[in-house]
Amino acid sequence: MINIFCALHCEAQPIIQHFKLTESKQFNLFRIYQSKDKEINLSITGVGKLNTAAAVSYQHACLNTSASDIWLNIGVAGHINIPIGEVRLVNKITDEHDNTTWYPQIIFKPPCKSTNLITLDKPSTDYQDALYDMEASAFYQMAIRLGSAELIHCLKVVSDNTEQSTSTVNADKVKKMIAAQIKTIESLFDCLKPLSTEVSSIISEPEHYQYFIDKWHFTQSESIQLLRLLRQWSVRFPNEDVMPSVTDNKTGKSVLITLSEKIKNSEFVIHD
Amino acid sequence: MISTIYIEEEIASHPRTLAILERFPEATKIKCERYGEIFNRKSQNFRLQKKQPALILARKHKGLVLPTPKQYAIGAEHNYYFSHMLNCLYDCRYCFLQGMFQSAHYVLFVNYEDFIEEMDSIINNHGNEPVHFFSGYDCDSLALDPVTDFTSEFIPFFESNPRALLELRTKSTQIRSLLKREPIKNCVIAFSFTPDKIAKTLEHKAPDVNKRLQAILDLQEAGWQIGLRFDPLIYTKEYASEYSELFNDIFSKINSELTHSISLGGFRLPKDYFRKLEKLYPDEKLFASPQAEENNNIGYPAEIRNEMLDFCENIITQHISTDKFFPCHETI
Repeated sequence: MINIFCALHCEAQPIIQHFKLTESKQFNLFRIYQSKDKEINLSITGVGKLNTAAAVSYQHACLNTSASDIWLNIGVAGHINIPIGEVRLVNKITDEHDNTTWYPQIIFKPPCKSTNLITLDKPSTDYQDALYDMEASAFYQMAIRLGSAELIHCLKVVSDNTEQSTSTVNADKVKKMIAAQIKTIESLFDCLKPLSTEVSSIISEPEHYQYFIDKWHFTQSESIQLLRLLRQWSVRFPNEDVMPSVTDNKTGKSVLITLSEKIKNSEFVIHD
Repeated sequence: MISTIYIEEEIASHPRTLAILERFPEATKIKCERYGEIFNRKSQNFRLQKKQPALILARKHKGLVLPTPKQYAIGAEHNYYFSHMLNCLYDCRYCFLQGMFQSAHYVLFVNYEDFIEEMDSIINNHGNEPVHFFSGYDCDSLALDPVTDFTSEFIPFFESNPRALLELRTKSTQIRSLLKREPIKNCVIAFSFTPDKIAKTLEHKAPDVNKRLQAILDLQEAGWQIGLRFDPLIYTKEYASEYSELFNDIFSKINSELTHSISLGGFRLPKDYFRKLEKLYPDEKLFASPQAEENNNIGYPAEIRNEMLDFCENIITQHISTDKFFPCHETI
């Protein structure tokens, strides 16, 4: 699942339009737009850190997000000299308020250049050699509690610089700037989706695990043991259905004994 | 190869930093305060980062040279280890680093001069007694040598300190800088081995067994002392024939006179590391091996462990005198 957060509707609108997202009426604290297959979800957070952190938290709670999800903050930002309309992935986020820093992990060939970003509490035209925004640090700080650093990124289109300050920026221009970077956004999705899929494969439960949990009683520690034994089973006996070996067991404990005995008494070959 | 380099502000103008940055003009450079801001953060995925690790250039402030656990000695009373790098170019599935570190990025401590100063002080503290220093616990000693210039900086120090011995633990064939210079008597290049089929299954990105063996032959021909490390021993049904074949191959080719030491030990990991690895690689057969838990470690059950150690010990001691042999018979 891809979770996108934009501060303003004008930043979100080209994304909503391109990916054919529709507003979900069941969520009313923040406006959440979703693709038909619910794979892409976009919240409009409002401006500032508090709004952004709340929106990330809300989307997580409403959509039951997973550790393999992709999290993106997409919007516009200022910079001292990067030309208007150019896009950057963020490789370092600094919160100006307390100087805390985060480093989004770009472990793929990015679709655009990357640079550092400073999140401010108030708008400023005192440009430095960094992107300026008002949301990224809060977005990242909250998202990193929910996902993995390799899957959490900020993509910013430069909307103002020393030559054209914020007074020249309006909603229509922002829409056009973001719309012009839709291909970059799609490329970023393409970079991140295989990583997300790999995390899914790591965290997915082994086959039949839920069936076992429903059918027999396992304590908390026994269910962890079960998870481990079912994984070992699938690695040791990839072509052998586990069910016939355990069907006659009456208790969770006896299931665990059956599985571990079978694994223990089989020959182990580490390579093919 | 390296597309992102993080640089601690404190060592940004260190000559070694500048030399390394020059080698990677295309890499994205990102300044940081301390390497831990990147390396130690939670919510990172070691397995994903291993696809494209970044390089972090940092300064090591304390704990530069530390005493080794007693069971890892190879003949001296005083043993220390040090790590100029954290993490490894290779991706060996049994490696404890995957369990120990949050991040797969390579950290390079560029302040070699501080390591050397600390070693100098340790050598002086031990008077006339021999002191052994081990490199390669937290990284491969040679794999990044062309970038780090590690050997060309450290070997001259040992050359002028003959009471000290340096072990360079490695699977690498990056031996050019060693072959370019005269060998020294108090340096052992210690190569780790598992049988070919096991290495192909578990030691991803590492040079194959034949290439490592060729590196040994080249080093011995140049007069360097080498070590053989069969640690971890990996269990598989046909382990006896696979290890026999490996030993035959090695001992039929190497010069036993220039073999400084041989050590071996069974596969074992601290329980927490094992559990972390099991989660990172749920489809990995190694973590479905026969296993037992003792003293908060996970390894092979005693009967398998002892049988393998005895089997290997019997063959090894036919080829080398027992004073060069250092089995690790610790419980797991």
